[in-house]
Amino acid sequence: MRPGQVRSAAKPATPPFSPVLLLGLALKPMRPQVLQPIFDAMLRMIRRRHPDILERMADYADRPVCIDPTDLPFVILLDPNPEAPALIVRREIDPEEVAATIHGPLATLIALAEGKVDGDALFFSRRLIIEGDTEVVVALRNAIDGAGIDLVEDMSAQLGPFGKAFRGLAGAAIGLADRMQADFETLRAALIAPAVKDVDAQSARIAALEGELKQLRKAARRGGVA
Amino acid sequence: MGSTLPPTRPELVCPAGTPAALKSAVDAGADCVYVGFRDETNARNFPGLNFNRKELGEGIAYAHDKGAKVLVAINTFPRAGTPELWHQAVADAARLKADAVILADIGLIEHAARVHPELRLHLSVQAAASNPAAIAFYAERFGVKRVVLPRVLTVQEIATINARIAPVETEVFVFGGLCVMAEGRCALSSYVTGQSPNMNGVCSPAGEVRYTETHAGVTSELSGFTINKFAPNEPAGYPTLCKGRFIARDKASYLFEEPTSLNTLNILPDLIKAGVTAFKIEGRQRGRAYVAAVVQAFRAGVDAVMAGRPLPDIDLDRITEGGKQTTGAYEKAWR
Amino acid sequence: MTSLTLGPVLFNWKPEALRDFYFRMADCPDLDTIHLGEVVCSKRTPFVEPIIPEVIERLTQAGKEVVLSSLALIMSDRELAQARDLAAADGVLVEANDISVAALMQGRPFVAGPLLNIYNEGTLASLEAMGAIRTCLPAELAADAVASLAAKAKGEIEVQAFGRLPLAISARCYAARARNLTKDGCQYVCADDRDGMAVETLDEVPFLAVNGTQTMSYHHMSLLGELADLASRGVDRFRLWPHHVAMDAVAGLFRAVLDGKLDADEATDRLADLCPGAEFANGYIYGQPGHQYVEADL
Repeated sequence: MRPGQVRSAAKPATPPFSPVLLLGLALKPMRPQVLQPIFDAMLRMIRRRHPDILERMADYADRPVCIDPTDLPFVILLDPNPEAPALIVRREIDPEEVAATIHGPLATLIALAEGKVDGDALFFSRRLIIEGDTEVVVALRNAIDGAGIDLVEDMSAQLGPFGKAFRGLAGAAIGLADRMQADFETLRAALIAPAVKDVDAQSARIAALEGELKQLRKAARRGGVA
Repeated sequence: MGSTLPPTRPELVCPAGTPAALKSAVDAGADCVYVGFRDETNARNFPGLNFNRKELGEGIAYAHDKGAKVLVAINTFPRAGTPELWHQAVADAARLKADAVILADIGLIEHAARVHPELRLHLSVQAAASNPAAIAFYAERFGVKRVVLPRVLTVQEIATINARIAPVETEVFVFGGLCVMAEGRCALSSYVTGQSPNMNGVCSPAGEVRYTETHAGVTSELSGFTINKFAPNEPAGYPTLCKGRFIARDKASYLFEEPTSLNTLNILPDLIKAGVTAFKIEGRQRGRAYVAAVVQAFRAGVDAVMAGRPLPDIDLDRITEGGKQTTGAYEKAWR
Repeated sequence: MTSLTLGPVLFNWKPEALRDFYFRMADCPDLDTIHLGEVVCSKRTPFVEPIIPEVIERLTQAGKEVVLSSLALIMSDRELAQARDLAAADGVLVEANDISVAALMQGRPFVAGPLLNIYNEGTLASLEAMGAIRTCLPAELAADAVASLAAKAKGEIEVQAFGRLPLAISARCYAARARNLTKDGCQYVCADDRDGMAVETLDEVPFLAVNGTQTMSYHHMSLLGELADLASRGVDRFRLWPHHVAMDAVAGLFRAVLDGKLDADEATDRLADLCPGAEFANGYIYGQPGHQYVEADL
């Protein structure tokens, strides 16, 4: 951490109850290094297909960032040094080691990386929490948004002959995750329901969630993976 | 007078901070895209944003291929003693076949008009030309073709200006972040941080921002000055100075402006009637998702008005600052 | 010989108070040039206008150069008509604080005001070609930029040296807004704060001041420690912004330091006595945030 920065006094936002959270629980006993090959492949993909990300980060070469998917039991250290960029998965990172940390649920972080959601809007709604040097985080957000990343497409290309299989698998996984997410929303609504006193508000909420669920199922079907 | 002419179809001028956003804007129906170089020559000199020369050349080719124009904003005020960076930016925009440059500084406009007489000149909002005499000055002296009006005028004042300055075109902001001060005439940012829109192309720069999470919520600071405090579940805004919560007369309030976004979707017919040539969407720093959503909404809005159909009901709440919207200075009560 | 300019009163003072103030300034030997005229809000103009002829007469009799300052933000037809009248004024120098006023001068001599954006030699040359015989530079500029411009200027270069700095102008009135009023129904509440309304952060740290539609620095700018150096680098004049303090005594301190008759540190102590409660800043001239105070070492 740099001088003048303020360390968080509170734990970052509680992760949403989601399939990713369960995945996180399942991954807990595992050594995070097991996942390192995925991030090595991702870095190779970035160097090959999106070198402009590193170019845009050139001014911030000495400011590593910690990316913390709040629903998974590991964090990712991103070192944007264009000479020796690194994407390293770890159990945890000492805040002293990095210029900034981005906390957020995995699904939000992926949507952000793919430019599917507006970073400012996410921050306005507090689904992302930023600690430390805001400048490097803004630079990273802009660099990634500018690259036009499509994680499934890009990773398939990176994996060469296995790309087609990966694409099918990833597509199925995303479809599954979408549907599970929708189911979990319903379950979550049911779990929190007793706490909600206003019965009318409750039923409106459940109706809205059911609508959302339908929409998600439709979207998954259109994607051809349901 | 120009005001009696039937309204023409306004151009939709859309922001792009990156090549990916430029493609998003063009694909979503932008007539024009405005961009800047990756340095202090433009007023969105934000970390990791903007175009290098190669990217601009490719972006212009992509836009031209799809029938869209590209405008290059070179709208900061050149540093005394070192105008070369700005002169080079104008020369490169001309060489790469930009459809126009958007300039604010009188000296730079004079340079561009003299050295690149074929280059179309737009006056940036940062020049704050807020009346017909100011606009006439830029048009007559330097051949400026279009003026981006400062966000201080009412729709009625805009109509009056248009009637007086034809054939000079006007461009007005229709969506996005809102300066509450006359643009280009505000030094609040440099007073607090040392960096300003006019000199550095940044307002309330990210490098000076700190968020502190505590059990009581989040505090946002700019160069050590508290700009706002949010309760744990309250939507938090970026600490832009003029959108902060401050104490005056022993009362804490959003003294200058609330965290809010300009949204004129519902008054588009009035702006078209006022004789505006181009509608500008703010937000080169906002990313592809924002660009696509807003450009689609305004494409639909403008097309509906021109076809005599009712305005579409499009909800842009989720991408507005603090989830709030305003028609800003276009309505007099805002003042 | 470096001159001292008294800027126009930016606040909404009662007409009698304003007249008395200018009459007193007429007798201040340390001021060479005195500005008047409403800069901030055209709603105030009708109250200021009636006293202008007698003030001009009194100042001229006292041997002062008189300058009429224009509005900073000209939007309505009525404001533009006022600007045309001002530009046509005979026998008195005009200060343009909006580019339209500079254009309306049509080549006749004028002062380019500090609220125009004159950041570089190209723009300075354009303004001088339009008739600017003197240019008061924007507050943001650091000493190196000032020196660079002074080296190229054909006319005089003036630098803001004392008082709350005008930082921004708006169509919206924040004095009214702070009282839940709109500008149209403002009841002229800006007159309640003779030196501006202090604005504090939520941690009660004061940092800005509001003067109707204008936002100013909370801190009083003071360049007492930098006067000599800036003068040696080509600055011809220093501007003092009027406040509700003994401005003639303030001018006396700046004059004495310029003349080498008073040490800058000593003058700063005396300035603090003259401006009880004021906090001083000079950051801009050092290329630092404007609110900071840097010990003189130019």
